[in-house]
Amino acid sequence: MMGESIKGAITVVGEFVSADIVLPARYSFLPPAEMAEHVLGELPAEVNRGVRSRPIIVAGEAFGYGTGRESPARALRAAGIKAIVGGPFARMFFRNVVNNGVLAIDCADIVGSGIANGDEIEINPATGGIRWNDRVFHGMPTPAIIQKIVASGSLIEYGRAALADMARASS
Amino acid sequence: MRLAQTTAEKILARASGRDFVVPNEIVEVSPDFCYSHDYAVFAIDAFEQMGATSVVRPERNVICLDHGFPVNNARDANNHVRIREFVKKQEFLAFFEGGTGIAHQVMMERGFVVPGALVLASDSHTPSGGALGALAIGTGESELGFVWATGRTWLKVPPTIRVVMAGALTRGVAAKDVVLTIVKQLGVLGAGYKIIEYQGDAVSSFSVSERFTFCNMSAEVGAKSGIFPSDDVTEAFVNGRAQFPYMGVRSDPDANYAGEITLDLAQIEPMVALPGREDRGVAVSEAAGKKINQVFIGSCTNARVDDLAIAAGILRNRRVHPDVRLLVVPASRAVGIESARNGDLATLLEAGATLMPSGCAVCAGAHQGVLGDGEVCLSTSNRNMPGRMGNKNAEIMLCSPATAAASAVAGCLTDARTLD
Repeated sequence: MMGESIKGAITVVGEFVSADIVLPARYSFLPPAEMAEHVLGELPAEVNRGVRSRPIIVAGEAFGYGTGRESPARALRAAGIKAIVGGPFARMFFRNVVNNGVLAIDCADIVGSGIANGDEIEINPATGGIRWNDRVFHGMPTPAIIQKIVASGSLIEYGRAALADMARASS
Repeated sequence: MRLAQTTAEKILARASGRDFVVPNEIVEVSPDFCYSHDYAVFAIDAFEQMGATSVVRPERNVICLDHGFPVNNARDANNHVRIREFVKKQEFLAFFEGGTGIAHQVMMERGFVVPGALVLASDSHTPSGGALGALAIGTGESELGFVWATGRTWLKVPPTIRVVMAGALTRGVAAKDVVLTIVKQLGVLGAGYKIIEYQGDAVSSFSVSERFTFCNMSAEVGAKSGIFPSDDVTEAFVNGRAQFPYMGVRSDPDANYAGEITLDLAQIEPMVALPGREDRGVAVSEAAGKKINQVFIGSCTNARVDDLAIAAGILRNRRVHPDVRLLVVPASRAVGIESARNGDLATLLEAGATLMPSGCAVCAGAHQGVLGDGEVCLSTSNRNMPGRMGNKNAEIMLCSPATAAASAVAGCLTDARTLD
């Protein structure tokens, strides 16, 4: 499954959207489906509708900065997001997103490229290449460890397999 | 061949069982110490969903409840119950009940964070531990569950940038003003994926509490961590307090840095970060007079004994302005005890402050001290993005304890040096 491309329609989200705006702290303990209702809900309503109906976000500079809570990443997963491209992203948000099985690719060039809500892109995780119609953007290649975690579905799935391997090795 | 290493590289090399590491390579590490707080409940979820049954090295794990205490709803209360049961069953080294203090503060004052250690914790302000020469890095909750289950995780070796400080602060200027200046210069992701190492002749003049303020707000420039290399100040603090053996670490003189900022401390002014972003710093004198409704002297950034002493010094024989609410939250119970004994808490209460239990309080944005639409909070905490304190229609400004106290008296943003 590693390296499989991700294709789909995008929602554009602006720059300097903090993780507290992706999902405010007060919603951290909600069940995933309810978190999805609130994801990016502090922004105009079409943003929430967009991320719940299209699998990819093109996010501006510093998307997810600030708090290291994982609930914003869980909320994006619950909303059906498969990949986030753009940034650069805050490091804890980046890790939380990939640990929830959502690919994140630093690709500042796609931000402000004129790409619009509903446009379709195709992402190659291994190379970081992102195709939009005739254009190709060169994002950061995804390290093998992150590809494995995302391909597993989440760090939890990855961890379950790792523990099983450790148990086999010691028996 | 010897490879010159920074403090962070030395710590990561040891924690990954190697002689040296180079920036941007990915290494697998075994942390020396981990801690968490209320959000540990999600780490427990992850741990159990991975099929794990026993925590690797529970004797190197601690939980300290701090985000929402005393609890205001049954759901959070049940989460706390689950955490208490988990730490008992897993025989964690220690558990600190809500009210003990903010986890970062408690880990420092009780000697769990020691020089040269690799510390992981499920909170973005984990870098605070760099005040003691540890490499302290924030993780998500799933990731902490993974570390509990396996004893390991992966890290990308970050490049280090250094902030070299010379000279001395002028009267009425604090570490917070310096770090707000640094955040303004670098921007909110200006040190993204990097370590900030604080160096220069002025470093030895900063106490552990002040170093904590610097490292804590290193998170606000996106840094993976901030660190003060171990020196005599570090040693004086940890000696007799450290829970684990330790070895202080310092960069080699010829280590490589990805960037450098130099600061003359004599030039630093009292600073305020204007609403919306931590890098919107201006001199307090330039924004003086801006209306405020609430003042928060609290958080892991600035609510220690020295901070409360500065605030009390300004509020002694003065009153909080009738249009302002002053909320005071000592960073820990130990801080509260010392500030009660030295009279500072009484001074603050006499001035009209409201005292709240030690914890994250207003800064956690979910529990206490939420602002109304259009209201403005002046805060000694670390974050002021929209919604941080629970209402996106309210504004937050960040400042030092002196500016907070002076402004609470005046009823508007005020440079403490101008108070008559």
